[in-house]
Amino acid sequence: MNKINFYLLEYAYGYIVRHKNKNIFIVTVFTLLVALLCTLFFITTSVSFELQKRIANEPDIVVQNYQAGMPTASTNAMLDKLLEIDGISGGNLRVAGKYYFRKENTYFNLVGIDPFEELSNKFLQNIVDTTDINSSCMLVSKDVLSIMKKAYYSNYFNFVKADGTLVKVPIAGSFSTEDKHYLDKTILMPKELLRKIFAYKSNEGSDIALRIANKNELDFLTTKIRLLFPNAKVISKDDSVLLYKNLFNYDSGVFLALFTIALFTFFIIIYDKANGLSSEEKREIGILKAIGWRVEDVLHAKFYEAALIAFFSFIMGFILAYIFVFILKAPFLGNIFMHENLLNIATFSLNVHIEFSYVLLIFLLSVPLYIAATLIPSWRVATMDADEVMR
Amino acid sequence: MQIFQLLLPLLFVCNLFAYPNYSDAIKVKKIYPMGERIYQKRCHTINVKQYKEYNTLLEAIQKGVCKELSPRYQEALALYLWDHKDQKLTRKHYPSLSVNHTQKCPVCGMFLYKYPRWVSMIEYKNGKKFYFDGLKDMFKYYFEHPQNIKGMFTRDYYTQETIAVRDAYLVLGSNVYGPMGNEFIAFSTQKSAQHFLFDHKAKKIVRLNDITKKMVYKLDE
Repeated sequence: MNKINFYLLEYAYGYIVRHKNKNIFIVTVFTLLVALLCTLFFITTSVSFELQKRIANEPDIVVQNYQAGMPTASTNAMLDKLLEIDGISGGNLRVAGKYYFRKENTYFNLVGIDPFEELSNKFLQNIVDTTDINSSCMLVSKDVLSIMKKAYYSNYFNFVKADGTLVKVPIAGSFSTEDKHYLDKTILMPKELLRKIFAYKSNEGSDIALRIANKNELDFLTTKIRLLFPNAKVISKDDSVLLYKNLFNYDSGVFLALFTIALFTFFIIIYDKANGLSSEEKREIGILKAIGWRVEDVLHAKFYEAALIAFFSFIMGFILAYIFVFILKAPFLGNIFMHENLLNIATFSLNVHIEFSYVLLIFLLSVPLYIAATLIPSWRVATMDADEVMR
Repeated sequence: MQIFQLLLPLLFVCNLFAYPNYSDAIKVKKIYPMGERIYQKRCHTINVKQYKEYNTLLEAIQKGVCKELSPRYQEALALYLWDHKDQKLTRKHYPSLSVNHTQKCPVCGMFLYKYPRWVSMIEYKNGKKFYFDGLKDMFKYYFEHPQNIKGMFTRDYYTQETIAVRDAYLVLGSNVYGPMGNEFIAFSTQKSAQHFLFDHKAKKIVRLNDITKKMVYKLDE
């Protein structure tokens, strides 16, 4: 039992090849099933991992001013009032927003930067620190540059203000967003310039980002700010974590449904297989016994056969899922995560992040079951008399 | 009346360049960090020591190397430099309260790395340092071994900066619990301690000298 019996292994391989059609069918179904389950888990773990990283880059508390139920400009006075609260260790008035470029029918994300203020996003902070942009220029991401070039803007861009006048902004340079697709279509420019484009007054901004040194205070401070500005929308980091968690629970429900259906199908196949062997297979076992094989040897050969098929299919399924999710970026299944304004699968880079507990779960649910489903009926036949089986 | 008419514009001119009137919180949380960044990025050639008054410093900044900056930045830079002029004299250097994954609290035996916000430390004159997961456990140890203490340190609850327990304002009876339940919550200023007392329904503020052994053990009840 300790060593692999290569004669039996060869026999098992021969058996698989002899029953080509049946085994190809089993391998196909098995592979597709493992691939489907792995795909689902790969997508969820990868997306939630990336979301966690994104949330880590967000400010601890975001305060957005509302008027008549609509988002409106926040002011410097609000920020000063917030900074007076103990526990808030810093913050800044952010100027950021979307600009609709009608000609190409896309939105640009305009982010106002201040060279002497700290941004919560480390990646953007790094870009701001390494490049020196003066007060009248902008930095654009590579995809924005190509969109602008399509509209024949290669050195500058004309932003149309609300009153119809133009603001001409030269392009100082471009930066690559690497795998951070949520930063696609980003334009960085000084706050003063952006205020001009968005028609904010000099003491106004789009929202306020706050930093908190002691995360224990996050909840308390959020409620305190809500009382201080009753009509403002206060979003803490915990809130956004919870929001995404709920979203994932919902999606996991859809996934769970798929998962159970797939497993159920698999069990039907197993049941069918376990229910009995064909007369041809029975006769083969009978002949083996007649020429002197022990029950042990028969089971050994059958074990090799089942293990060969199960492992081969499992590995194939795993590789297929890997290629589908991480190389092809999940063309159809990823759309399960499409939520308007919340999550867009296109903004996720689906980096390789695999939780092996899930892979182990799929492995344990499929491979041992399949081996058992092959062994049990063979054992039932092998324990019978050889002539009884062949008759 | 004539004198007033003369004095008024004079007063006005003097006030124009006078030290601006911001609250401490705004200065610490908004203006100093900005000033520091400007100083490091653009204007680190300025020598503050040579200016006797805030006005002259601001004027020098406005006319000197940083003249292309906007007035807001110039003011932030001037304030930062002026208020940190005697930095080396006023700023104290405390040991860091970082712990590794194997260190345990000598009183309760809990791992410290799980509660980095509550780590407190006693340093003895022979160089030995003991780390605790909260001030309560530290005081229990302190009352058993009160001799030859070099210093006791903890973190300010709001800012998470290391402070000396000797200078701290400790709040008792709040609705904020540490890893060992009821705790002394430490603050570097009386104002923030009072705000905390008010916000978290605490009972009283004490200093190191007020603390008794009985008071510490009462927290466990």
